Amino acid sequence: MSPLAEIQLVAGRELRRSVRSAKGIVLGVLTLLGATVSALVCVRIEASERAAAKALSNEGFVEAKRQLFERVTGDDALAAYMARVPTSLIVFLKITVWFLPLLVALLGFDTVSADLQHRSVRFWAVRVRRGSYFTGKLLGLWATVALIALALNVLADAVAVARGYVTIGQAAGWGLKFWLVAVVIAGAWAGVATLISSCFRAPILALLTTFAAFFVLWLFGIGGFFARVGESVDHGMAAAAKEMSWYEYLYPNAYDTMLVGPDPARVLTAVAILAGFTVAVGALGSLLFARRDV
Amino acid sequence: MAAEPAARLQRVTKRFGAKTAVDDVTLAIDEGVTFGLIGPNGAGKTTTFSMLAGYLSPTEGRVEVLGLLPSAVDRLRARLSVLPQDALLPATDTVGEFLLHMARLQDIPAKKALDAARTVLDEVAGRDWWGQRCGSLSHGMAKRVALAQAFLGEPELVLLDEPTAGLDPRVAREMRELIAARKGRATIVVSSHNLQELEELCDAAAVLDRGRVVASGSIAELTAANEEIRVQVAPGTTRGTQPGQVPVEKLRELPVVKSASLDEERLEITVYFERRQADAESVIGQVLSLLLAHQVRISGVAKGRGLEQRVMDLTAGQGLNR
Repeated sequence: MSPLAEIQLVAGRELRRSVRSAKGIVLGVLTLLGATVSALVCVRIEASERAAAKALSNEGFVEAKRQLFERVTGDDALAAYMARVPTSLIVFLKITVWFLPLLVALLGFDTVSADLQHRSVRFWAVRVRRGSYFTGKLLGLWATVALIALALNVLADAVAVARGYVTIGQAAGWGLKFWLVAVVIAGAWAGVATLISSCFRAPILALLTTFAAFFVLWLFGIGGFFARVGESVDHGMAAAAKEMSWYEYLYPNAYDTMLVGPDPARVLTAVAILAGFTVAVGALGSLLFARRDV
Repeated sequence: MAAEPAARLQRVTKRFGAKTAVDDVTLAIDEGVTFGLIGPNGAGKTTTFSMLAGYLSPTEGRVEVLGLLPSAVDRLRARLSVLPQDALLPATDTVGEFLLHMARLQDIPAKKALDAARTVLDEVAGRDWWGQRCGSLSHGMAKRVALAQAFLGEPELVLLDEPTAGLDPRVAREMRELIAARKGRATIVVSSHNLQELEELCDAAAVLDRGRVVASGSIAELTAANEEIRVQVAPGTTRGTQPGQVPVEKLRELPVVKSASLDEERLEITVYFERRQADAESVIGQVLSLLLAHQVRISGVAKGRGLEQRVMDLTAGQGLNR
């Protein structure tokens, strides 16, 4: 049996287990409830934005948004591109990406550690390569998060369509793109969560370590962002136009602007970096897991 | 050329920090036998077992199963199977899903996997549990399902770690019968501290104590069943030549007997014989004839000293549940 076939079987089972477990169901419901509230908040933001620009024509409204984005990002092309996207969807994407690490941590902390704790892993250890088991667990977690992100996007898009901000076609297009952005970023978080989960027999230790690791990554991201904002204020430039610090690249969410933008080269670069990050963490996790006692 | 053993440990040591769980163990398990790993708690049985299964890597030495390193999962797939001790079944899976998944991971084609899973579940008398969640099974049921996954396909080497631990006597007996029914179809290694169970199931065994092998061989060799018999006599019996007394000297004069003695405290006659000259049954016949001729009242007869007594002697009376 090839490693790919092994990974497929392990990942498929992990996905089924996640969506059926009490934890998966509770987290899914809570996430959807949170998403409903977020979608309503986003709609409210968009409604007040539109009310403020009532005097403007549709083109005038888009131009006002473009100017705003340009001031924030310092990127003409990106501003022109984003100005046509309903604000509610952009805000919703930001909220989704912001909460992704939390969702991944809560879903993934016990993905391997619980099997180590209960020694269930021993049923698998004589049937699949350790690397396949680890990778299957990672992909199963990633797929679960992707599934939840899909539900969130459908919800946000449905609200935007219901309010008449976008057509169904536009919602499908933007929704798919924003979902893919969330999925690509989630892969990196899922890799780190699975790696940490495979290092501990006690799920609670895995959970605390995952939170600590994610917090450190967030500090890299937020630290770099504020450093750029500070520099921008001093020099009168848009924060996003400044080069990111090296440590900011370690924060997976930092790539969301690159992924959303219209420049295929920047999108592919961001995808390549995040995919590389996920593969590197996955390879390290597989290696460590293959060497450890279970 | 001698056949390759089904499993082999060569000078294997396993340490956990400063603690040495298994110390320089060398062992070969012949193909086709049912082999017992015996010893008190903490003797290193489960650690040895876990190294054979590939769960643990030896600190020193070499472990081989079916001529391969246990880490060669792909080449051992479906040839090696394990019933791990204390491993919980995945609670959210149904029994059917779990067995089906295990069968698929053994590379049993999807169409045949269903049949294979149902067959082993039938074998452990669990046909009705197919749709039941593993988390809702009783301990005995879960143990049977775990045994079923170990029997999936036709593995050449089956490792069973404490297969009857924590089971009530009836279920334990049924488990023993299930394992006994597999004898001859595979090499079976059973780790247990239930000596009666091992004596019943195994052809050969190794006794471990404090991480070392203190004895190994066939069960007959370990229990001295082919060179010793024990006769229990009625209370009040003493040594002597009067009717009702044990004629120890006359027993020693029997041609096949090497030595004979009476433990007056335990009321037990021990007779050692030359295994090449006679088998235990004919020695029993001769000894009993003599004792009955002297009107000695006999309470019981046994070949050898019993595995339990032997292990107690070897492990210096540390008890099997220390």
